[in-house]
Amino acid sequence: MAEKPAASRAPLRAQTPETVVALLAALLVTVLLLVFGSPNPARALRAFFLGPFSNRYYFGNMLDGAGLLLIAGLGVSAAFRAGVFNLGGDGQIYIAGLVAAVVCLALPQAPAVFGIVLALVAAVAVGMLLAGVCGLFKYLWGTDELITSFLISAAIVPSVSYLIVGPLRNQQSNLLTTERIAEQFRLLRLLPPSNLNLALLFALLLAPLAHFLLYHTVRGYELRITGLNREFARYGGIAIGAYTAVPMAISGGLHGLSGAFAVLGTHHAAIQGFTIGLGWNAIAVALIGRNHPLLIIPAALVFAYMEAGARAAMLHTEFSFELGAIIQAVIFFMITAHVALPRLRLHLRGRSTAA
Amino acid sequence: MIFNAVEIMTPILLAALGGLFAELAGVLNIALEGLILAGAFAGILAGAASGSLVVGMLAGALAGGLLAAVFTFFSIRLRANIFITGLAVNLLAAGSIPFISTWMFGTKGVLRFPDLPRLPRLLEGVTSGVGFIDSLLFGHSATVYLAWLLVPLALVALYRTPFGLRLRAVGAREESVIIAGVDAVAYRRIAVLISGVAAGLAGAAISLRLGVYLPNISAGRGWIALVAIYLGYRHPIGILIAALLFGFTESLAGAAQGLLAIPGTVLLGLPYAITVVAMITYSALRARGLRRRRFIDAHF
Repeated sequence: MAEKPAASRAPLRAQTPETVVALLAALLVTVLLLVFGSPNPARALRAFFLGPFSNRYYFGNMLDGAGLLLIAGLGVSAAFRAGVFNLGGDGQIYIAGLVAAVVCLALPQAPAVFGIVLALVAAVAVGMLLAGVCGLFKYLWGTDELITSFLISAAIVPSVSYLIVGPLRNQQSNLLTTERIAEQFRLLRLLPPSNLNLALLFALLLAPLAHFLLYHTVRGYELRITGLNREFARYGGIAIGAYTAVPMAISGGLHGLSGAFAVLGTHHAAIQGFTIGLGWNAIAVALIGRNHPLLIIPAALVFAYMEAGARAAMLHTEFSFELGAIIQAVIFFMITAHVALPRLRLHLRGRSTAA
Repeated sequence: MIFNAVEIMTPILLAALGGLFAELAGVLNIALEGLILAGAFAGILAGAASGSLVVGMLAGALAGGLLAAVFTFFSIRLRANIFITGLAVNLLAAGSIPFISTWMFGTKGVLRFPDLPRLPRLLEGVTSGVGFIDSLLFGHSATVYLAWLLVPLALVALYRTPFGLRLRAVGAREESVIIAGVDAVAYRRIAVLISGVAAGLAGAAISLRLGVYLPNISAGRGWIALVAIYLGYRHPIGILIAALLFGFTESLAGAAQGLLAIPGTVLLGLPYAITVVAMITYSALRARGLRRRRFIDAHF
């Protein structure tokens, strides 16, 4: 089996040019596609750049999206940092969202805190289970977690959709959605009429917590060393087996959390396909943030802005295509590439050695 | 049912045979899915435009090869992370095909090509007298025989030529190959290009057989092919058996759908479920085998 290179080796500052180049490339491709693919390029571009700031509704929704991306992005990096890949985020988020909705719908009379906590715990548990088994198989038999996590996720997505549009469907609604959860479980909205809610604040607290765990605890240190060099870690007496299964489970749990917040905070129901794509976006966010918990905050904001802009551009031009997927593809191509930028790199490297 | 299984397995076999070259050269090519998609789209466009299935197949192969070239440019030339760039290829195919489709045909949905010639069936009417063998061997689409032809071809190329020896050596022991003066990077690039061409052929085989292009027409076959490489013990004959096994389970599941009244949406996930179960079982058995061998080595 091919060796997986560690997600990030070089110090953060030396990677700055690549990140900037990747984001600029994504921006350039987006602009080109809007110019050549839209009947009214000026309006499309205006919508793309300014759309997310045009009113409270769009702005709040963008921030809400950033919060979900931040949590899921932390989940992606939890696995990346230990040198394992969780490619099943999309399915983990989706099923966790459904589980959170089902818990709330099953207990319509329950007190708010009890219901919310139970929904969050159930969603996290489902995510942990789905990703954790992949880590466990990797630990036990060396089964490639990258492939199994993707396949398990792809296998369950249709079943989740089936449950939402079939047995659990709200017959009164025109949308393919479950019933809405009871009022008391809905997280406080911060910027009505937008979807922005308390989940964003929670996400913003989670990032420093992850940073602390990763950089200021022994386990975090051991996890990072395992991710950088498994052989070295084993030689140093680190139980690398544990750092295969546990980070995968944590990664799945964070994805699950993101899915639960999508229900409790954003949509108040599980809608068919409502989180599809979030898992892949989170991978992009983790990469832009170089798998560094604090850098993932701005990364999530930047990505949420580009995504909201793309959505606004499409709304205004009556022209639809998968701009999001193309933006992601460009970022994925560029973000780890060693692009030759001799002057800029030399300049930055000089600074980092001086510092 | 056996007849169907053979038809279903063909694109998996084609993509897995190509992917084997990459795998043996040390590249886990997770871009197969996107490469198949590109081949399917380009194949049916060129086939419909030219009215020739051969041109369609060639265009599919070309599209797969070109996208694989982009893949190697980033992953090997620019030394980007190969898994991330592999995902990028998948996303690029999934994102840009609807764009091209909207631009050319005004829709990103189903594309029908009524003028496209039908894929010919070969050896129709030939019979051995045994029903089982007949449905396994005769009367299939031409692409099935193309895939079968590629099995011995891959076998010879990988195990009976200096090229194959070096390619396998690049994957198994890169340092010694470099010391021996072989350009390991070039071999790895060629291996990925081969897998791109084969995946493109697989895609064209899917769309030309159906005569329509559907969104997400590859339906996970790239991932299944990837698992088939492992299940086939990284050997062309093994891959043939693994692909047949996948084809058979899938056609069996399709037949069971009516009997058990499983909802159609749930079944969309079935190929993935079968694949992951197969993969986990395989690795568990293999791990046990390895442990036993190590035990024997140590004690006797």
